[in-house]
Amino acid sequence: MNVNTREPVYLQVVRHFKEQIAIGKFVAGQEIPSRRELAASLNINPNTAQKAYKEMEEQGLIHTERNFPSQITTNETILQAVRQELILAAVDSFVDAIRPINVPVDELLRVVKEKYSEEIREEEEK
Amino acid sequence: MMRYLKLVNFEINRFSKIYISLLLITLVSQFVGVIIGTKNFLNGARDTMSEERLSEAAFVTNNGGIDFTYIANSLWFQGPIALSAVALIFYIFLIWYRDWFGKNTFIYRLLMLPTSRLTIYFSKATAIFLMVLGLIALQIIILPMENALFNSTVPEVFLNMEMSSSSIMSVNVVLSFIIPSTFTQFLLSYGAGLMVMSILFTAIMFERSFRIKGIIFGLVYCGITAALFLAPVFVMGLGNFYFYPNELFGLLLALGIIVTGLSIWLGSWLLKNRVTV
Amino acid sequence: MIEVKKISKKYGRKKILDGVSFTANKGEVTCLIGINGVGKTTTLKAIMGLTPYKGEILIDDQKMTKDSYEKITFIPDAPIMLPQMTIKQAMVFMADFYTSWNSRRANQLMGFFKLKEETPISELSKGNTAKLNLMLGLSLDVDYVLMDEPFSGIDMFSREQIADVFASHLIEDRGVIITTHEIGDIEHLIDKVILLDNGTVLREFNTEEMREEEGKSVVDVMREVYQA
Repeated sequence: MNVNTREPVYLQVVRHFKEQIAIGKFVAGQEIPSRRELAASLNINPNTAQKAYKEMEEQGLIHTERNFPSQITTNETILQAVRQELILAAVDSFVDAIRPINVPVDELLRVVKEKYSEEIREEEEK
Repeated sequence: MMRYLKLVNFEINRFSKIYISLLLITLVSQFVGVIIGTKNFLNGARDTMSEERLSEAAFVTNNGGIDFTYIANSLWFQGPIALSAVALIFYIFLIWYRDWFGKNTFIYRLLMLPTSRLTIYFSKATAIFLMVLGLIALQIIILPMENALFNSTVPEVFLNMEMSSSSIMSVNVVLSFIIPSTFTQFLLSYGAGLMVMSILFTAIMFERSFRIKGIIFGLVYCGITAALFLAPVFVMGLGNFYFYPNELFGLLLALGIIVTGLSIWLGSWLLKNRVTV
Repeated sequence: MIEVKKISKKYGRKKILDGVSFTANKGEVTCLIGINGVGKTTTLKAIMGLTPYKGEILIDDQKMTKDSYEKITFIPDAPIMLPQMTIKQAMVFMADFYTSWNSRRANQLMGFFKLKEETPISELSKGNTAKLNLMLGLSLDVDYVLMDEPFSGIDMFSREQIADVFASHLIEDRGVIITTHEIGDIEHLIDKVILLDNGTVLREFNTEEMREEEGKSVVDVMREVYQA
């Protein structure tokens, strides 16, 4: 995870987790690292890791029972929403960036489609 | 208490190389002094006897014989005592300053130990006092040996008298000072020593607390305490008042205790509240 | 919590600290930043009772006593153990005097920093001296750790290793105060920043709140404050 020093680090950790969930690296019910392990692997301080876990608990992404490792939620609605949220967030920033250029929607969609399939093809070739 | 003892042990260990050297120098130098001193005397006597064709008895009548005081007054014998004294007086300063000015600033660690600053103060004072006592003990142990060596190497005719260790100690000025024969003298010698050490420690604490200004404070403090302690002597010196020896001793003892107590209190207070690392 | 309340300090006529106040919480990394001047180190010394000052400093609502040295430790940026000792002897010394010494953690840290017990302290490089100081300080089971310029004047790899300490369990639940004149690569590892200049506090803020509320990095705020 590359840390952006202008954005709360704990939120970046939360987003990092959401990305992992969206791409299926973390699946429903999976145990996640302890805050110590997380801090060491992401090179953040343990307090920040703690804060990120607290935030994720509040959002219902993970849940912790006393004396057990935290787990990814098994609630499918929340997991689906995570995917939706990431897609929406990415599209939002894309729209923000492209809006000033004033491209007609049809053209935009055509370019996006071409570019996107090209990227996937290139990735598969690797 | 355990930390105090550990600290004393630690402080002695830190000086152990130099201290052991002092003990060895004293040991070697004094025995060498006994051997060389007697040899010189006997060689001299032999030369004189052959030049002047004297019998041994006639030589002794003319020139006098030898006894241990001759040895005890030599540089070989007193030199190491003086050296040890100078080294330990010097160490009164070094035991503090080495912690600040060494290659590593050990004073940080020392002042961050979970023990009172008074303990640190006492551990350093105790270390020096024990080292003084150690040197004295060595002297008390080796003096009879030196005496025995002397008596066995000098032919009986040349020997003025066979002295006992205690008479050697009481006759010799230096020895009688460092190895007192009475408890009163012991109190005077070592009480005075402790008092001087506590005053010097306090002066050092003044310097460490206020740096250049502190040197002045330290000197003034030394002056004030010296004046306080010696006040009865000055009073007598003025001539219009006289103390009996017992009274004078009592006064000096009381003033000495006051000055020492004051110095320890002030020194450790400065160490606790005013010293900067 | 360490509460520094309006502390002042003069060397001769020069004011080193002029009414400095801030708090540092347990479980947080607080960073005292000052681009110039010596106020940072003096502040740490004042907290540790190593220099007299005017004002008041409380540690968990109490004044510093001798027993506090089992609860709070100071890691200076200079060697403070006797040069003739080996690292092993330094560890024995610590174990002898501190009941809060944790020898298991000490051994972990020896491995973490790749230090060898038999090395004489006089032979350590600047980087390894800093690691030795950290090893000795962090091996005490204390609530607060104060570190003076842990990154200054040492090689890049030692810096990285020391930075890793801040992302490890070694500081977990402890209150940490570090001083630095450049924030460098630990910006994302600190919780709170105190910006000092000319012996006064110019700004005190929580890094995550600053990012959340104003979208500013520590360096952004430093630029604002010091170049104003």
